[in-house]
Amino acid sequence: MDISEQLGSATTQDEVEPFLELAPELVQKRRSQGRIIWDRFIRNRAAVVGAAALLVLVLFCFVGPYIWTLNPDSLNALSATSTLANPTLAHPLGTDDVGRDTLARAMYGGRVSLLVGFISMLMAIVFGIGIGSFAGYYGGAVDNILMRFTDIVLAVPLYLLLFVLSAAFVDGTPKSVIFLIAILTWTYAARLVRGEFLALKEREFVMASRTIGAGNFRLMFRHILPNAAGPIIVNATLLIGTNIILESVLSYFGFGIQPPTSSWGSMIATGESFFDVDPFLVFVPGLLIFFTVLSFNLVGDGLRDALDPQMTER
Amino acid sequence: MGEYLLEVQDLKTYFKVKAGKVRAVDGVSFAIKPGEKLGVVGESGCGKSVTALSIMRLLPQPPAEMAGGSVLFDDQDLLDVPESTMRKIRGGKIGMIFQDPMTCLNPTMTVGKQIGEALRIHLKVSKDEAQKRAISLLEQVGIPAAAERINSYPHQFSGGMRQRVMIAIALACNPKLLIADEPTTALDVTVQAQILELINGVCSDFGTAVMIITHDLGVVAGMTDRVVVMYAGKVMETAPTDELFANPRHPYTLGLLSSVPRLDEVRHSQLRTIEGAPPDLLKPPPGCPFMPRCAFARAICRTMPPLEALPGNSAHFKACWVDVTDPQEQAYAEKRRQTRIEKVLAATNAQLASTQPVSEEK
Repeated sequence: MDISEQLGSATTQDEVEPFLELAPELVQKRRSQGRIIWDRFIRNRAAVVGAAALLVLVLFCFVGPYIWTLNPDSLNALSATSTLANPTLAHPLGTDDVGRDTLARAMYGGRVSLLVGFISMLMAIVFGIGIGSFAGYYGGAVDNILMRFTDIVLAVPLYLLLFVLSAAFVDGTPKSVIFLIAILTWTYAARLVRGEFLALKEREFVMASRTIGAGNFRLMFRHILPNAAGPIIVNATLLIGTNIILESVLSYFGFGIQPPTSSWGSMIATGESFFDVDPFLVFVPGLLIFFTVLSFNLVGDGLRDALDPQMTER
Repeated sequence: MGEYLLEVQDLKTYFKVKAGKVRAVDGVSFAIKPGEKLGVVGESGCGKSVTALSIMRLLPQPPAEMAGGSVLFDDQDLLDVPESTMRKIRGGKIGMIFQDPMTCLNPTMTVGKQIGEALRIHLKVSKDEAQKRAISLLEQVGIPAAAERINSYPHQFSGGMRQRVMIAIALACNPKLLIADEPTTALDVTVQAQILELINGVCSDFGTAVMIITHDLGVVAGMTDRVVVMYAGKVMETAPTDELFANPRHPYTLGLLSSVPRLDEVRHSQLRTIEGAPPDLLKPPPGCPFMPRCAFARAICRTMPPLEALPGNSAHFKACWVDVTDPQEQAYAEKRRQTRIEKVLAATNAQLASTQPVSEEK
């Protein structure tokens, strides 16, 4: 290859390169809003780890029992060796004081804990959005009444009220615990939504939608609420973690989920008295709670960053 | 329906604040014929936008207070009709576009949905039908590849394109009147002309009357049929556009016109301005609000002159006691201007003289 040829190829490359660089940008379809948020979330390593851990935990609780088919409630108390057993092949995480398989119980307990956390979050968020959006949008007397009501609920010591109410009303089924947690945790969501509505209702696009004849409900739920979705989703994610802990605390003190149904909290409560003999009974549900809540918090933080409109498009 | 599409009579909009009442709009009257293009000009804070928002009844009450007057539209007084009727008029019969297209579109909704929304509210069309019409509207406001762009979000559009989308939204239901509140202020100069042309063209096609609010006299000169000049919440002068520019009869209009920089003027000559600042609308001066800044001011100006037609020209109205074309009045004004300049000069010199020793000591 002689020099002129080399020069020739170099120049053509120089001339072609910039166009090649530009071309994909021009051809490529613009990323949608959702795609941008997804890309940002994926780039946050901690959040991805959290999300992966959550996926594993959900599979563990909801698919696991189909693979590990031992009955969590079957008693093996007849043989002395199978109560409070150390991990063996038959029972990878050992057994409890009446010979029930800890692994199977952790799976079923996790179902209850996750469901209680998730459903009570949903209820709390829906209620919080209802209260917060009306208070924030209408302002004035409506705001005053709704927010003072919220303040009252907030002012009551949470755990005290939880214990009193659960002792009086909770019959130990997951449903009653979900209700109890939901009616005490909607307050933060309500305040958050109210704040978002207060700020967003002054925005020009709300005024602009008013000029095309949009009514109050359309403004509230079609225009303002979607713009508040980011903070609400973040709050919801974090709330699941909080609610799982609340459920565990309740069950630990014997006010929550009642036997024979188990949750991670009630597993800790029963395992506690055998801690010196078989620490697994406490560590297994304890660590599961720990990792679940940690994962939810990591995902929540990741979502907060990904959904933040102030963040520049990356 | 009478001769006019919109008739604003003695409109008064006050704002209650701690210190009292701000008379933002204080007895404004004007009218728009079907298909007419009306310009409303005035400096910042003179009540142009508040007038527009009062017509649309979009001011939060309180603090705003509709203290009086009427807004006749389609034989209805918009200040009296129930909110449900008003909602049908907004977007259905009166469209509105705002100054800043960057903030006026909902960032979480596709532009197609936002254009279709007005159609869905007023004409109760199906989703598919709304999308179809949104595409044709987008084409009409000059956005290429409308069928694809319909699913874009506002952040994927430039400022000029967003203003085009706003226009499409405002005109979606073929309203009789379009209120444009400084539609080009936030835009690039080159885009401004395009947008004005678009508003002009589309509204002529649709037969829509336009009320365009601006502080840019160039905008008014280019596209309106009539002009209303506002100052401190009052109408100072109103006339057909050509007439107003050729033959201004109010001292304030004179001041506005002479403070526009001109290309054919001698270079480096000083830009003329109107001395002073607009009055505090909390405590407006009795009589003509322009009096404190007016070179033509006389004792009679302490009472507010009525907005009256010029003798011999029933289309040209002014609210001024003085005939500014009278040479005697002009001489009087010139003398007052000179005295003022001398006074200001003397005061400045005195100040300079008193500060000089201090600077020398250093």
